[in-house]
Amino acid sequence: MDQETLMTIAGYGKFFILLFVFIIFYGYAFSIYKRQKTGEKDFEKYSDLVLNDSIDATPLEKRDNSKEK
Amino acid sequence: MQSNAQLEYDYSVVKLFTFATILFGIIGMLVGVIIAFQLAFPELSNLAGEYGTFGRLRPLHTNGVAFGFTLSGIFATWYYVGQRTLKMSLKESKFLMTVAKLHFWLYFITILLAVVTLIMGYTTSKEYAELEWPLDLLIVVWWVLWGVAMFGMIGMRRERAIYVSVWYYMSSFLAVAMLFLFNNMEVPTMFWANGAPSSAMHSISMYAGTNDALVQWWYGHNAVAFVFTTPIIGMIYYFLPKESGQNVFSYKLSVLAFWGLMFVYLWAGGHHLIYSTVPDWMQTMGSAMSIVLILPSWGSAINMLLTMKGEWGQLQTSPLIKFMIMASTFYMLSTIEGPIQAIKSVNAIAHFTDWIPGHVHDGTLGWVGFMIMASLFHMAPRIFKKEIYSKSLMETQFWIQTVGIVLYFTSMWIAGITQGMMWRAYDEYGSLLYSFIDTVTVLHPYYTLRGIGGLFYLTGFLIFAYNMFKTATSGRVLDKEPANASPMAS
Amino acid sequence: MFHWLEQRPFFFAVMLFLTVAFAGFIEIIPDFAKASQPTVGTKPHTVLELAGRQVYIKDSCNACHSQLIRPFKSETDRYGMYSLSGEYAYDRPFLWGSKRTGPDLHRVGNYRTTEWHENHMMSPSDVVPGSIMPKYPHMFKNTADVATAYANANTQKQVFGVPYDKEGMPKLGSWEDAKAQALEDAKKVAADMKNQSVKDAVANGQVPEIVALIAYLNSLK
Ligand code: HEC
Repeated sequence: MDQETLMTIAGYGKFFILLFVFIIFYGYAFSIYKRQKTGEKDFEKYSDLVLNDSIDATPLEKRDNSKEK
Repeated sequence: MQSNAQLEYDYSVVKLFTFATILFGIIGMLVGVIIAFQLAFPELSNLAGEYGTFGRLRPLHTNGVAFGFTLSGIFATWYYVGQRTLKMSLKESKFLMTVAKLHFWLYFITILLAVVTLIMGYTTSKEYAELEWPLDLLIVVWWVLWGVAMFGMIGMRRERAIYVSVWYYMSSFLAVAMLFLFNNMEVPTMFWANGAPSSAMHSISMYAGTNDALVQWWYGHNAVAFVFTTPIIGMIYYFLPKESGQNVFSYKLSVLAFWGLMFVYLWAGGHHLIYSTVPDWMQTMGSAMSIVLILPSWGSAINMLLTMKGEWGQLQTSPLIKFMIMASTFYMLSTIEGPIQAIKSVNAIAHFTDWIPGHVHDGTLGWVGFMIMASLFHMAPRIFKKEIYSKSLMETQFWIQTVGIVLYFTSMWIAGITQGMMWRAYDEYGSLLYSFIDTVTVLHPYYTLRGIGGLFYLTGFLIFAYNMFKTATSGRVLDKEPANASPMAS
Repeated sequence: MFHWLEQRPFFFAVMLFLTVAFAGFIEIIPDFAKASQPTVGTKPHTVLELAGRQVYIKDSCNACHSQLIRPFKSETDRYGMYSLSGEYAYDRPFLWGSKRTGPDLHRVGNYRTTEWHENHMMSPSDVVPGSIMPKYPHMFKNTADVATAYANANTQKQVFGVPYDKEGMPKLGSWEDAKAQALEDAKKVAADMKNQSVKDAVANGQVPEIVALIAYLNSLK
């Protein structure tokens, strides 16, 4: 295969990967917006992670150490 | 684990890295000021024989401030922000504590060795990757140790949700690991010496010529992203809300800006390929991406400015808030300047001139430097349990350094554009108007001004060091950890 | 799907890594094969030139000098033919530089001589008034590291297949051969120089740094 075809393939590859990434990115943006709106998840409460960060403060979402990694 | 009434955060590693930040800051910036004046007064290059020439000292400056000052600042704040937002203490794990300590000492030794070997002239010549192969191996070891500490701490956390600052530190760890490994692929030559008494320190790059340049600038461009940008954004997302007692203006925006930055930053590297053989439409995409990059960058910066909404009064009362707001302002400035320089026709003039160091220093002095110093100031009352020694010294430092930065970038803008235009000037007969030396001597006043700007900044940094030292040794003892605004004696 | 990821730091990290990694690979790899073809007539450096190149790197001349002539009229008028990718095929590491505090050096061998360099390196401002380049008197005393230069060349030959010892290419041979050849080359350079201690050193079988450096600068064409 010569250089030219290689570059063309790489070019198209790049284009489609970018397209894919954009779709995921905007999908994510939309999902954040939707979840906040429907009240499924409140994102803004996470600011508290900074304001309430002493070691004996109650965790915002306590972690169950026995499950998941 | 839950009923630990006296459990506290452990700041011993934070203190060690804080010390290193200040020490390497002084060394790196001092060398910077020296080489700035060497360009204005070249006799200064020959005061220490071969060891004091501009060429020997420049890598010492860049490595000193990037890997000495900035990295220790990142590590110091990581061990602080990490513990606090994850709600775990290093005290809870002997293993992680040992790893963190080892991380510090190996790091510290590496930087000291770096100073010695660079002065002796051991360098690979690849910018920001100058250190020779034995030191590179050491770096890999402590970088892995940092990763172990980081993921170990995350694994032990009590808080299920991971705050956005921690994401930024994680991205920095992962990306730099990859960039560093690929760019520093080198072959020690002593194994093929064939009996010749060759140097054990010497190595050559795996890649040759243009390929080497491609890998190097892929590294160079993105090292800026993941050393000078993402971890510093992580800092401001923690320290600004904490110090001001405000909620982040929009946490949703912070999440989106994070992913936006991750997706776009590396694509913007395409602007380095402008004169290469890639198809035209791909080059255009690279330039377009550089412009798109403004969005996530400004997203974060504006998010920070709006966090202060309704609380702008703090800007007058607290020098610490001043530092952080000024830092995000400089961040906005340099993230708009960068894409401008990526435009083809602008790049043709700006490349190889002093405009480039000018651009770099908007970011490093204004954004990175201010943010790291502000973070250390914020941490000081918590890690030493003392009041900050002097507020008026902080004010003085702030103004001296701000003036220093302005002197620096204005003089370099003028110098860069002047020289870029002179290089391409023709007379009416179609021959070059200026010989090269004309374009050097004309810069003398700007080089002098730049040196003075640097001297201002260094002076400010020494004031900072003194203030920190006094805080640790003779600040008024606090009986309770301050919640938000850091206490400071006038 | 996103919710699941947000809660799992390790998968999160993997995602993050992939995001950051893929752009780099697609960006760099297509260019790789193409750029490594040497231009016709490009030869690897001799051992003496490599020793000089190591001096150039040791004193970071690349901090002030570029070796990359861009395809603009104002640059080709000043420095000569613009640089081609294939001319760098044997450069490990590349030395394009990023800042032109001094002029480009990619073709300096075309318009400067041994004698000019000798005076200039000793004291640039005496040759070019107003120059801000440092003086390099120590290069007249320090001995160049020819042994490492040989190891350098041999590594290129053995590991990367650089065509030393091929028809019409520089000879390498054993360390003894290479050492003798380097000294031979050094004598030719020293013949055009007037510094007595440098001449004496070369006559005694040593190669001062300045001699190697000038051999390298002369090879930049
Ligand atoms: C502080 C920056 C600086 C460093 C470091 C430096 N130079 Fe220079 N160099 C200059 C400047 C400025 C000029 C233009 C004035 C002159 O000719 O002296 C120059 C000119 C030259 C020239 C003349 C080129 C021409 O076309 O006239 C050569 C050759 C040269 N330098 C070689 C070197 C070598 C070899 C080293 C490393 C040992 C080196 N320089 C290090 C700044 C530097």
